[in-house]
Amino acid sequence: MNLDFNEDQKLLFDTVDSAVGRGYPAGGRAEATSSELGWDEGVWKTLAELGLAGLTISGEHGGADAGPVEVYATLEALGKHAAAEPLLDGVFLPSWLIAGLGTEEQAEQFLPALAEGATTIAVAHAEPGRPWGSAPSVTASRSGDGSVVLTGVKSPVRHADQASTLLVTAVEGGTTGVYVVDAGAAGIARTDGRSADWSHASQVEFAGTPATPLAAAGVDATTVLHTAFARARVAVLAETVGLMESALAHTVEYLKNRKQFGVPLATFQALVHRASDLYARVELARSMALWATATVEAADGGAGVDLAAIADDAFVFVGDAATAVAEEAVQLHGGIGMTYEAEVAHHAARLTAITESFGGIAAARRRAVASESALRVPSALLNNA
Amino acid sequence: MDLELSREDIEFRDGLREVFTREVPEEVRRRNALSRTTRDDIVASQRILNAHGLAVPHWPVEWGGKEWTPTQSHIYASELQRNSVPQPLAFNVSMIGPIIAEFGSEEQKRQFLPATANLDIWWSQGFSEPEAGSDLASLRTTARRDGDSYVLNGQKTWTTLGQYGDWMFVLARTDPDAPRKQQGLSFLLLDMTTPGIERRPIDLVDGSDEVNEFFFDNVRVPAENLVGEENQGWSYAKFLLGNERNGIAQIGTSQRVFADLAETAADIPTETGALADDPQFRTSMHSARTTLLALEATQLRVTGASENGQASPVSSLLKMEGTKALQELSKLRMHASAEDGMLLDAGGPGEDPLRADDAAVVAAAQYLNQRKLSIFGGSNEIQRGVIAKTILGL
Ligand SMILES: Cc1cc2nc3c(=O)[nH]c(=O)nc-3n(C[C@H](O)[C@H](O)[C@H](O)COP(=O)(O)OP(=O)(O)OC[C@H]3O[C@@H](n4cnc5c(N)ncnc54)[C@H](O)[C@@H]3O)c2cc1C
Repeated sequence: MNLDFNEDQKLLFDTVDSAVGRGYPAGGRAEATSSELGWDEGVWKTLAELGLAGLTISGEHGGADAGPVEVYATLEALGKHAAAEPLLDGVFLPSWLIAGLGTEEQAEQFLPALAEGATTIAVAHAEPGRPWGSAPSVTASRSGDGSVVLTGVKSPVRHADQASTLLVTAVEGGTTGVYVVDAGAAGIARTDGRSADWSHASQVEFAGTPATPLAAAGVDATTVLHTAFARARVAVLAETVGLMESALAHTVEYLKNRKQFGVPLATFQALVHRASDLYARVELARSMALWATATVEAADGGAGVDLAAIADDAFVFVGDAATAVAEEAVQLHGGIGMTYEAEVAHHAARLTAITESFGGIAAARRRAVASESALRVPSALLNNA
Repeated sequence: MDLELSREDIEFRDGLREVFTREVPEEVRRRNALSRTTRDDIVASQRILNAHGLAVPHWPVEWGGKEWTPTQSHIYASELQRNSVPQPLAFNVSMIGPIIAEFGSEEQKRQFLPATANLDIWWSQGFSEPEAGSDLASLRTTARRDGDSYVLNGQKTWTTLGQYGDWMFVLARTDPDAPRKQQGLSFLLLDMTTPGIERRPIDLVDGSDEVNEFFFDNVRVPAENLVGEENQGWSYAKFLLGNERNGIAQIGTSQRVFADLAETAADIPTETGALADDPQFRTSMHSARTTLLALEATQLRVTGASENGQASPVSSLLKMEGTKALQELSKLRMHASAEDGMLLDAGGPGEDPLRADDAAVVAAAQYLNQRKLSIFGGSNEIQRGVIAKTILGL
């Protein structure tokens, strides 16, 4: 029983931490998110050189074939710097879908380029006014010659403006599938905007847009889709932990340095105790995120665990902590905490966007509360009932 | 990472379960689950554990300790709680025992340690005073040296189960002129049959009689009952407070309360069905469940961390959040039966009250009693202060 990084994983965290830290000097994120790209090109390059874009991709396709703990270490380090590079949205998540659903040819076509960091792929699942867990309203229709076109609207699609390819969920004859769409295909109308965390996001309309099913024969898309989203919900918690830790560290520094009434804010016990409570929440959330990561690792090793239920439990618990940290970090900074220039505002914004990601915390809680596991006696160890 | 106990750890756990459930009588464990443990239950249980070498595993080996791995210590604390075994008396096994083993004279070790492990001596903790609670070092009870004894004068309060105490370890001021209040305190062992001691019980809000106050009027303590050096008492007291790490969050207890509540919820009727299907109840239980998972994972993370008698700073977090979780569950248990749990202690003096065995009826008293968890052992506010100072540098 062990919830710590091994030596290699520690080294990985330190490497990413210092690489991203160099690329993101103070205020670096604001500059990156305001750029045309939406992230920092130099940092992305470094991440790619370190092989991190290939983390979740098999060796056969040019990746590192690493596990959930390596993903955790990498994303926590990114979160620590509030980095905007879309490793999870633009590489990891699509790689899981392609590996789980695609034909060998499709895997060959997309995975090596992703692993190199040469491209990103946007996953288009969310739809306006439609719950994440419902079947998509975007439809796929097939004509006599077997060609497929998509019709409908996806929004928001994160980082769609930079993606070379979209993976779009759609329904064909009552069955949910994932479809590959070239970003430059005919019949796509993209309206770009930004998400609450200042990362780029778009509304994408499909009007008879040519698409190819991402499908090897006999693979059930719904299961793979749900598993990939469950993995993503756990993976994003690593970034959340990094963000929370860093938001708390900024807040503690601010309490020490900012003076009002002639004394540092840290003189006021009411504020200090709130920082202590945040510390407790962050540490508990870190334990939860590590535990969920270890559970995903165990599942990959063949342990019979309900990945989706565990992802929901962890997402709800860590998400509640994220909300608390985001709110308190801004509050304890006063007005400056609300400005685009303040780093802590970016932490808060990103934490906020995370709690609404992949269907959001309210839906995760609804599923968890309705599931039979809600009343099951908790045990963090898999063989200690 | 690895979320499984090793085969050896499972064998170890099953061995403990065997002793805890076969040897400790069922009725003793049942009363403990209902917070109706008697003095005799505690004594019987500790003696059974001691007979199996399981009462003082974290003492030095020569006095009955086990040199367990951190994982084994964690399993031990957790299994005691999960199986409702009355905990070995903390005053004996977690407080005075380790102090005497570390700082006591050879004579004191021989005289006290075996009897302390077997609960042949019942110890009370004489630290708090009416004017010295969180600010313990400001205590005023004095011990004046007179020939070969100390003369004790003053008052102690909140003494848990002091009505059964054979001996009390007392923190008293031996040097009133010391420059700092932490200096000038000494650690004395007091035989409670000594003349000059008066006890008054304190009634608690839940109806229990678990605490007392004690008055000392020229009580003579032989000088050989000083532990360690004169005026060094504060450092021994701090050693004691840093001693408890496993079990401090009471996760095993919370797991047991959760299990009981989850099971009974199917049989508790609501206007529209069973409590187990009530969305509000399920939401609260889910929240308790995830908190317990996070706490246990935190416990597992620190279990492996270095163990040198120092309190890990994370102990503050575990104590504060663990006891909050248990308090929250006791509140849920009370809400579950609502008014139906409110007929406490019905019956004449000396009679068993109506439904004394019913968890619903016990719930309200338990809820009120468990307010103590965030007050003693360093209140939540004190823990926040420790976190701020030692971890955040605030
Ligand atoms: C049921 C029970 C059993 C006990 N058993 C024993 C026993 O066996 N032996 C023994 O010696 N003692 C025992 N205690 C005493 C216990 O250790 C004290 O209650 C505890 O130290 C708190 O002291 P106090 O009650 O005087 O509260 P106070 O210290 O007066 O605190 C009152 C409130 O102020 C807060 N506060 C205090 N200082 C600060 C600060 N610096 N900053 C912010 N907030 C602060 C506290 O958190 C609390 O909320 C027991 C207490 C209880 C309730």
